[in-house]
Amino acid sequence: MLRRAVVAALVLFACGRDHDAPRVRPAPKPDGSAALRGGGAPRSQRIANYKIDARLDVAKHQITATQTLTWTNTGQSSVDRLPFHLYLNAFKNESSLFMRSSQGTAAPDAWGWIQIDSVQVAGTELVGKLQKAKPDDPDETVVELPLPAPLEAGKTIEVSFKFTAQLPEVHARTGYVGEFHLVGQWFPKIGVRVGPPGAERWECQPLHANTEFFADFGTYDVALTVPGTYVVAATGVLALVREAPGGTRTFTYHAEDVHDFAWMADPYMEVMSGQAKLEDGTVEVRVVHRPEQKDFARRHLEAAVGSIERFSAWFVPYPWPILTVIDPPVDAAMTAGGMEYPTLVTTAGDTVFARPGVRLPEFTTVHEIGHNWFGGMLASNEPTEAWLDEGVNEWADAKVMNDLYGPRTSGMDWMGWQAEAAALRRAVVSDPGSLPSPIATAAYAFVDQRAYAEATYITTMRALRTLEQTVGPTRFAAAMKTYAKKFAFKHPTGRDLFETLAEELDQDLGWFFGPVFQQVGGMKLGLRTAACRQAHTPRGVFGEGSAKKIVTDTDAPDAGSFVCEVVITNTGTIHVPLDIELKFADGSSQRVRWDDRGNGNWERFVVQRSSPLTEVRIDPDSKLWLDSPTTHHYRIEGDGDASMRAAAWFSSTAQTLMQIVGP
Amino acid sequence: MGRAAKAGMRLGLGELIRAGGRAVSKYTGTVLAVFVVQSLVALAAMLAIAVVLAQAFAHLPMFDDAVDGDLIALIYCVRYGRPSFLAIGGIVFGAILLWQLASWFLVGGLNGVLGQRPEGRGDTARCFGASGATTYLTYARLAVCSLPGWLLVLFAFGTGMNLIAPRIEHALTLPQLLGPILLATLPALLLLHFLWTVADYARIELTLRHDSHAPGVIATYVRTLIYVLKRPLTLVHGGFGWLAFLLVTVAYAYLAQGHPMYGTEGAVTLFFVRQGVALLRTAIKIGVLAGQVELGRMRPLPPRRVEVKVDAKA
Repeated sequence: MLRRAVVAALVLFACGRDHDAPRVRPAPKPDGSAALRGGGAPRSQRIANYKIDARLDVAKHQITATQTLTWTNTGQSSVDRLPFHLYLNAFKNESSLFMRSSQGTAAPDAWGWIQIDSVQVAGTELVGKLQKAKPDDPDETVVELPLPAPLEAGKTIEVSFKFTAQLPEVHARTGYVGEFHLVGQWFPKIGVRVGPPGAERWECQPLHANTEFFADFGTYDVALTVPGTYVVAATGVLALVREAPGGTRTFTYHAEDVHDFAWMADPYMEVMSGQAKLEDGTVEVRVVHRPEQKDFARRHLEAAVGSIERFSAWFVPYPWPILTVIDPPVDAAMTAGGMEYPTLVTTAGDTVFARPGVRLPEFTTVHEIGHNWFGGMLASNEPTEAWLDEGVNEWADAKVMNDLYGPRTSGMDWMGWQAEAAALRRAVVSDPGSLPSPIATAAYAFVDQRAYAEATYITTMRALRTLEQTVGPTRFAAAMKTYAKKFAFKHPTGRDLFETLAEELDQDLGWFFGPVFQQVGGMKLGLRTAACRQAHTPRGVFGEGSAKKIVTDTDAPDAGSFVCEVVITNTGTIHVPLDIELKFADGSSQRVRWDDRGNGNWERFVVQRSSPLTEVRIDPDSKLWLDSPTTHHYRIEGDGDASMRAAAWFSSTAQTLMQIVGP
Repeated sequence: MGRAAKAGMRLGLGELIRAGGRAVSKYTGTVLAVFVVQSLVALAAMLAIAVVLAQAFAHLPMFDDAVDGDLIALIYCVRYGRPSFLAIGGIVFGAILLWQLASWFLVGGLNGVLGQRPEGRGDTARCFGASGATTYLTYARLAVCSLPGWLLVLFAFGTGMNLIAPRIEHALTLPQLLGPILLATLPALLLLHFLWTVADYARIELTLRHDSHAPGVIATYVRTLIYVLKRPLTLVHGGFGWLAFLLVTVAYAYLAQGHPMYGTEGAVTLFFVRQGVALLRTAIKIGVLAGQVELGRMRPLPPRRVEVKVDAKA
C-alpha cells in the first residue's frame, strides 16, 4: 500500500496536473469607459476605420467574419487602387516571403491562411478583381483592389468584406496552441499612403520574417463571438457583452486612435488587475494568465504598472483607459509571447530559470508596453525603419528598468549576481563594427535575422545611450520628450527624429547620426602605447667645432619626475569625443580629452608627472556604448592576483571531478 | 583480521562504516599520501591555469571585477579570452584524465594496504607500492571490461531525458523541473551506482585474490555483478559514501554562497580551504573503500586457476 502511494505521489510530482474541463464563465461586465481617457478630440486623423463581426470556431481554429472599412484619402492625389495586407497568408505555404526568409515550415494541419470570400464597393462585387501585388511572386500577403473609379483627394470610401481566416498553429505571434488562441494580423488591412503631398504612394510591404507592421490610425468596432467557456481579451474597451445562440457569447470592443486590433480567446485564463497612476488620471492594467502562471503574472503586473507610469511621465501620457498584458501558456510563449498591439501586448519569460531577481519576464513586459509609445503612438514604418520603434524603445526600456529595479540590478539580482539590463544585453551581442549592415537598413534587407536583431535593437540602444551620455542625460531626455509629443499619432521617420534631436540639443549632430546609423564600421578604441621615462634635460652632443659640448648623465641628471606618453587609437568609423584617465603610482590621476572627430585615427598624449603611470582608462565614465569595453582599462604592470584566484576555483572544480573518478 | 570480519560473521552497515573509520585513523599516512598526490595534481593544474589567465588578463582590471562577481565583466572576459578558457578546459580535462590513470595505481595500493593491513610506515609503503604496481594493468583491463556498462548508463540517461524533455521544457517551478528529471534519471543513476559498486568490488577481489587465485578479469567482473546483486548492503554502503561526499560538497558550496564563484579572498586561502574540503572527501572515499575491502574479504573464494608446472628434471 505504502509503495503504491509513493509511486502515485512520484508520478503526480513528475507529471503535474492538467486543467479541469472548461466551464461557462459568468459574462464579464462592459468596461463602461470611453475609448480614450477623458474622452476628448481625436488624437489622430483616423484614416482607416474598421467594423468587424467575427465568429471563432475553436475546433477548427477558424474565423468567419464580415468587415467594413471606411477609408479616407487624406492625400492630395487621387487613388485608383487599394492595397490590402493579408498577413495570415504568410503562413499558407513554404513559398510565402515569410517562410522563405525564415526557412520556416509547419505541420500539415497547422498552416494558416486568409481567404476573401467577398469584397464590395457601393454594392458592387469586386472579389474577382482582386489581384496579387506582385503577380510573379508566390507570396500572397498583399493584394490590390482596382477601384471602379478613382477616389479623389479628401474623399471617403467604404469597402465591405466577407472573409475566412484559418489560424496557424501559433507562428510569429498569431495562431493557436491547444485551446489558446492569439488572433493578430487576421483581417484584410489597408496599406498606408506616404510621401510628399501630391506625390503620395502606397506603402504595403509583404510580410517578411524580419518585418512587422505599418498602418494608419482609426477606430475599431469589433464583435467577437466565441464559446461561452472562453475568456476574451482585446484591443480597446469592452463595450457590450451579449449571449448568443449555441452556447456562444459575443463581446463587442471599441477602440479609438489605434492602428491595429488583436485579441485572445482561451478557456482557462484568469485576470489579475492593477492600476497605473498618471498625472492626469489612472490606467487599469490587466494581466491575463493561466492559473499556474499566477506568480509570474504578479511580476508582469508590477512591471506593467511601473512602465506605464514611467513611459507616460517621460514621453506622452498613455491615452487609453486600459492596457492588457497576455501571459501566454508556457507551451505557446516562444511563438505567441513578446508582441505588441495597441492597448494589448503579449509577454513571455515564464520559466523555472527566471527566478525572482532574474528579470527576463519583467523586461519582456516593459519592452512590449514600451511599444505602445514607440510603434503604437509614434507609428513609424516598421518594415523600412524598424530601429525607430524597436531600437528607440530598447533605449527607453533600459531607463524604465533601471528606474524600476535599480541601475545595477535591473537585469539580474540573484544569488549575488547583479547586472544592469541594458549592459547585459549589450554584453552578449556582437560589436557594431562586426555588423554587415548599418542600423538604418530596411528590416527585410538585412543579411540574416541575427544581423537584423543586433543592429535594430541593441546597436540602436547603444547609439542612443552613447549620444545621451555625450550630450547629457537631462537635455537628451527633454529632446526625446519633444520628439514623442511632436509625432504622437503620426508616422515619424528617422529624419524626423534626427532633426528633432538636433534642434532640441541645439547642435549639428550629423557627425554622429551619419556614421552611427548609416554606415558600417563601429568604434574600435585601443591603447597603442603607454610608457614613461625619467625626465631630464637633453643629453648628447650639442654644438659644433669648439663649441661642441657633450652632456652626460652627470651633467643632466634625472629630474625626479616622469615623462609619460600614451597613444590612443580608434580604427573604427565612429568618432565621438572621449575622456582618458591616467592614473599614477602616487595615487593621483589626470584626465585628458580627445575630440575624436576629424582628427585622424590616433592621438598622442604626453604628460610630465612626479610618479610613473600605472593605469590608462579610456572612457572612464563608460559613456561610449558603441565599443566593447574589455580593453578600455589597461594596467601598465601586470597583476596576476585575479588570475590566481580564478585558477584556484578552476582547480578546485577539477579536483572535485578527480575525486569522483578516483580516490 | 578485524573483529567484524572473522569468518562466518555477516557484516552489517554499521560494521562497514566503523571499519572505514578505523582504517582512516590507522592509515592516516596513507590517506595523506594519496591526498598529497592529488593536491599536487590540482596545484599543477592551478598554476598552469593561472599562467594561461595571466597571459590574457594580467593587464586588464576588468578581469579583477569578473573574479569579484561582476557578471557583465565576466561575460566580456569570457568572450575576449575564449582561447584561454578553451585551454583551461583542456588543462582540467588533462588533470582528470591523469588522475584517472593514476587512480588505478592508487586504488590498487589502497586495496592492498587495507587488505593486508601491514604495520609500520615502511611495510605500509612497500605494500602500497607493490600492490598498486601489481594490479595496475589488471585494473586497466577491468576498466575496458566495464565500458559496455557505462555505455548502457549513458543510453539510459539519454533515453530518460528524451522522454521528459517536452515536459521540463515548460517547467515553471523547481519541483516541475526536478521531479521529472529525478524520475527520468533515476534508472540511469541506479545503474551507474550499481556498476560503480561492481567495479569497486571487482577491483578488491582482483587485489585480494591476485596472489592466491589469480582470477580472470572478465570472470571476476561477472561474479561480482552477481555478488552485488545478491548483497544489497554493498549498494547501500556505497550509497552512504556518495551521500556523505555530496553533503560535504553542498555544505561548502552553501557556505561559499554570496561570494560568487570565488568564495573567500586570496588564492592561498582559497587553495587551502578547498584542500581541507578535498581532504575530508578523500577520507570519506578511503573510508568507504576500507568498508568494501572488509566486506570483500568475506566473499566466497573464486575458483583457483590451476597451473601445471612441468619440472624438466623430474
